[in-house]
Amino acid sequence: MSSVSHRARKLESAVSVCIMLVLCLIGLGVFIKQLDSDIGRFGLVTASSTSPAETGISQNAETALNELAPSGFKVLSKPEFYDTEKLYEKINGKAPLYTEAGFVKLSTQRFVSSSDDTLMMELYVFDMAEAKNAFSVYSVQKRAEGKALSGMKFAYKTSNGVYLAHGKYYAELVGYAESDQLLKAMEQVAEKISENFEVDEDGEIAELAFFDEEGLVENSFRLYLANAFGFEGLSNIITARYDVEGQRITAFLGRCSNKQDAKTVSESYYKFLIDNGATAIEPVNKILEGKIVDFYGSTEIVSTAGPFIVGIHEADEQGPAEKLAAKLIEKLGQIKGD
Amino acid sequence: MRIITVRRISQVFFFSMFLWFGIVSTIGQNPWQVRGWPVNWFLQLDPLVAIGTILTTHTLYRGLAWALATVVLTIIFGRFFCSWVCPFGSIHHFVGFWGNRKKKTAQKIQLNKYRNAQRIKYFILIFFLVMAAFPSLAATLQTGLLDPIPLVTRSFNLVLLPIVDKPINFVSVAGRFYEGVWLVFVMFLAAILLNLAIPRFYCRFICPLGALFAVISRFAIWRIGKKQKDCIDCKLCERACEGGCEPSGNIKIGECVLCFNCLDECKDELVSYQRQPSLSGETPPDVSRRGFVLSLATGAFALPAVRLANKLGSNWYHKVIRPPGALAEEQFLKRCIKCGQCMRICPTNVIQPAGVEGGLEGLWTPTLNNRIGSSGCQLNCVACGQVCPTAAIRPITLAEKHGLDEFAKAGPIKLGTAFFDRNKCLPWAMDKPCIVCQENCPVSPKAIYTQECFNTIRDGVLTVKNTKGNLIETEEEILSPGKFATGDYYCAAGDDLRWKITANTENSIEILPDEKFTKIPPEGSKIEVQVRLQRPFVDIEKCIGCGVCEHECPVSGKKAVRVTAEGETRSADRALLLRG
Amino acid sequence: MTEQNEKEIGRRQFLLRAGKAGISIAAAGAVSYLLYDNTGPRAGNEAEDLVTLPDFSVPQQAGKTMSVIEGPDRIETVNKAIRALGGIQRFVKPGETIAIKPNVAFASPPFLSATANPQLVAEVVRLCLVEGKAKSVIVTDNPINDPASCFTLSGIGKAADDAGAKVILPKDYLFEPTTLEGGRLIVNWPVFFGPFEKVDKIIGISPIKDHARSGASMTMKNWYGLLGGRRNIFHQDINTIIAELAMMVKPTMVILDGTQVMMTNGPTGGSTSDLRRANTMIAGCDMVAADSYGCGLLDLTVSDLPYLAKAEAAGAGTTDYKSLKPIFDKTG
Repeated sequence: MSSVSHRARKLESAVSVCIMLVLCLIGLGVFIKQLDSDIGRFGLVTASSTSPAETGISQNAETALNELAPSGFKVLSKPEFYDTEKLYEKINGKAPLYTEAGFVKLSTQRFVSSSDDTLMMELYVFDMAEAKNAFSVYSVQKRAEGKALSGMKFAYKTSNGVYLAHGKYYAELVGYAESDQLLKAMEQVAEKISENFEVDEDGEIAELAFFDEEGLVENSFRLYLANAFGFEGLSNIITARYDVEGQRITAFLGRCSNKQDAKTVSESYYKFLIDNGATAIEPVNKILEGKIVDFYGSTEIVSTAGPFIVGIHEADEQGPAEKLAAKLIEKLGQIKGD
Repeated sequence: MRIITVRRISQVFFFSMFLWFGIVSTIGQNPWQVRGWPVNWFLQLDPLVAIGTILTTHTLYRGLAWALATVVLTIIFGRFFCSWVCPFGSIHHFVGFWGNRKKKTAQKIQLNKYRNAQRIKYFILIFFLVMAAFPSLAATLQTGLLDPIPLVTRSFNLVLLPIVDKPINFVSVAGRFYEGVWLVFVMFLAAILLNLAIPRFYCRFICPLGALFAVISRFAIWRIGKKQKDCIDCKLCERACEGGCEPSGNIKIGECVLCFNCLDECKDELVSYQRQPSLSGETPPDVSRRGFVLSLATGAFALPAVRLANKLGSNWYHKVIRPPGALAEEQFLKRCIKCGQCMRICPTNVIQPAGVEGGLEGLWTPTLNNRIGSSGCQLNCVACGQVCPTAAIRPITLAEKHGLDEFAKAGPIKLGTAFFDRNKCLPWAMDKPCIVCQENCPVSPKAIYTQECFNTIRDGVLTVKNTKGNLIETEEEILSPGKFATGDYYCAAGDDLRWKITANTENSIEILPDEKFTKIPPEGSKIEVQVRLQRPFVDIEKCIGCGVCEHECPVSGKKAVRVTAEGETRSADRALLLRG
Repeated sequence: MTEQNEKEIGRRQFLLRAGKAGISIAAAGAVSYLLYDNTGPRAGNEAEDLVTLPDFSVPQQAGKTMSVIEGPDRIETVNKAIRALGGIQRFVKPGETIAIKPNVAFASPPFLSATANPQLVAEVVRLCLVEGKAKSVIVTDNPINDPASCFTLSGIGKAADDAGAKVILPKDYLFEPTTLEGGRLIVNWPVFFGPFEKVDKIIGISPIKDHARSGASMTMKNWYGLLGGRRNIFHQDINTIIAELAMMVKPTMVILDGTQVMMTNGPTGGSTSDLRRANTMIAGCDMVAADSYGCGLLDLTVSDLPYLAKAEAAGAGTTDYKSLKPIFDKTG
């Protein structure tokens, strides 16, 4: 360039720089646009996120599970959901135990410690549809060495697990290591479930209160939904263990639809015992006349009180059995109505 | 900073962006996949796409509003798009430069002279716009054939990228295939090679978008021009003139692509970008009346001529299967710009460019070829509609595709229907068990169901020699050992006795006995070796025409089950059944 | 001085150009704004493209909804039938344009009674033009066979022409898509709309025929001729489509010609032995009632024709024709 007008050059440069700036802005704009990545609009939802419509789980349920993570722990994987058909894939042979007890849905989740990744736990939340179902699977699987947890009605822990029944939910926490820290964290999860998972008030198991408290062994309730004591007709029976005069006796009661029904069930169970080799014996307490047998050495009592069926199962000695039975019958007799 | 430096930077910037958009058009969340990248931006900036669709549909669809920015800038500044933004133009610019760089100055100046043939691009523009402006349903959008942005996008998507990606498998695990694109390749190559004859050949003679810009920029505020009438006439300004506009004299301002090479080259700084017209004269774009009328008439007659084949009526071609969400054919042809974006994004590579069997207008429009790619149209994918810049394929949701929620009454979108060729299907014609189609049918309940039937195999009637337990020995020793142990073969004795064969030698059959085996076939009686076939049927109420069955069919040449477009939901008059 | 002038001219030219540029920008902006479409196209035709047939019926008059006239001469019986309903003046007002839709479905000679009788059609045309003082009458149908042959062989083309009506043959551009409100089958379907777009009244004329698929072809089935496209697909649900046709078309009057009834081998017939002379002419404003009476002439009952109940349920009329107190009379 020979004779150059300084001004023209300046203008040219200025314009050029302006255009460069515009290009930069365009580049920036494009970059920002691509951050808005709603990949879902293309379809092709990836396998790990099953659509809510399929599993009937709302987004809320997923977050609810994620929020159960105890302090110092984080979510390890996405929650998994299983219905009655798929339950077998998760717990294999144990599935019938739940599916025959009203099982609806299982949600599982894993948490791992943020500081130590050997401390891992898996949470199983079984939705059993009704409180009595949940209580049943809870109580029936209760480990003998379990220690009751305070603050929650039905919860206990073992050396590496925490178990609880809360309304219609039965939850198990399985720790992958034996560690106090892990156990404490699992208790935290159990507490959170107890506090945050909404359950019906009607889900309370009223019948538990009908047991006389004297001599009652703590946390010994069991709820058998069906086939209690091997007899088909005995459904929804709650058993409790008593310590009477140094003897361990099991008492049971169950609510039938009405007085007549209770009588029918009680009589057929009595007949069942006789048919299977029991012998009728004379009771000391006359109200138990015709309701007490000796079954290969142990005393069995089956009677009714209003719409309730009530009795004693596998008592070593007749005397204490009769006393307990009478007490129960009396207590049940005081319950109004129904 | 010189203006041509910025221009070059701009060309590189936009060309790289174009390449990048092409590469990232793969479904996925990674930064090098589609995410939120505005991969249609060039197509949206293209005013010919916008104006074309405005003429055919009387609407300006969504993202195409970007074209307004291009139009406004062109009205103010002139034909900047061609040498600052257009990726196709940049290719021509570069090849023209590279191919002609060794020529002498005088030769170069000669190459850049204005030629009358530069008016051809205006005729091409008028030709396309007339066909687009036809009243209501008769209109068609064919601008995509020569519009440079769809053209270069198509060439990149269907030819260049697949070729480059094949050995490295970066954007596609299996390598992409597109049938019939040799023509796209030839066109692309021809356009590029012509630059060796005359630089920016396509831009000067053919490009209808350039013609459109020339018309739009008539009232540009700033333009290239000389600051004074007379100069030494060295013509160095025309040595690298990209537009062929002759800035040294009476500048054909419609041809100027604002490359600013003239401004940079003039040693006396007489060429500038100024508000007043060039002092040595300026000629606006001018098409002779005869040429205008001729191209108008040609367009006006070409379209009805093409439509004589009745490809939109009863003579429609059954093998053109449009992607899910595609509009009915007449509406579709008014929007499709043949850019190939749907073919690019399709994760299964099943969307292919059509040829002319479906009608001339259908060239390079999308159609499904279920034999190519990984699986027919995936059930849970709606990518093609999401990426189509003109909504020729509507951006449907999965709910609409599957006929859920508010679309439950309308039902799922069907692309066509699968038809079994019973002359080729293994269980129908060859007595060979196979239900790959039924297994892979993705809808629930399945659209393919089977009926069981037992056929005696060839030479399958045998005479019982004796029976030992569940072993039947035959007089004949013709059976292929082990052949009938697959679980598909049965031994039948009479109409009601049939047992599964678990093993065989050349002269004995071992069966799975059941309670009927008390009727053991006596010596000398006849038994038949039968094959259990599950013969497939299509439930045309449930079939959505996705083509997965066709893709999986083991008869790999002419498939034994083929999807054709009968029953497609987008066309009421191609229904197989009454709907509703 | 000239330099000053030049500069001024230059400035003026520049302003002119700038003005034009400004207008172009404004125009581009306006067009973009007005035509901007954010939602995109919907599947199927836009609602504005769909047409609807207007209601051509006249106000009801109790006791004058249906007439049944017996007699051998069609001209006499149809005149008496219409007079019983109040005369053609009740239906046709002076200066109106009337459309007559006879059954011209087949290229079949009149004596086989597969189509409407040409003299009957001509008489109705005459009544409209001469007594009703209509401005013009069109006669039209979308036949199954080739239209030109149908109108010729059936004699209706010439008869209508001679009587002063305009015959309109179907053409591609006369079909428009329609969706019947409440319809399941007539959804976005092409109908023969063009001829009826600007008429004031519609009169349907059809013979009583046996029909292999639907049981009978009378006044309601007559409107099948308004359907375009591949309408044979509706035979898969023939009773629903006839009911929907009755919902779609609300004619001014229907004339059901039972002079020669095609008893068997309908709808094409082909032999005079298929016919039985019943010498009955039915006119009315209620198609369901007319068909319900007419089926008796085919030795059928209302329950033999499911489409009657469907049409009644859809509100197109009543199968209980007796409740309309039809006027029974004879000629001669």
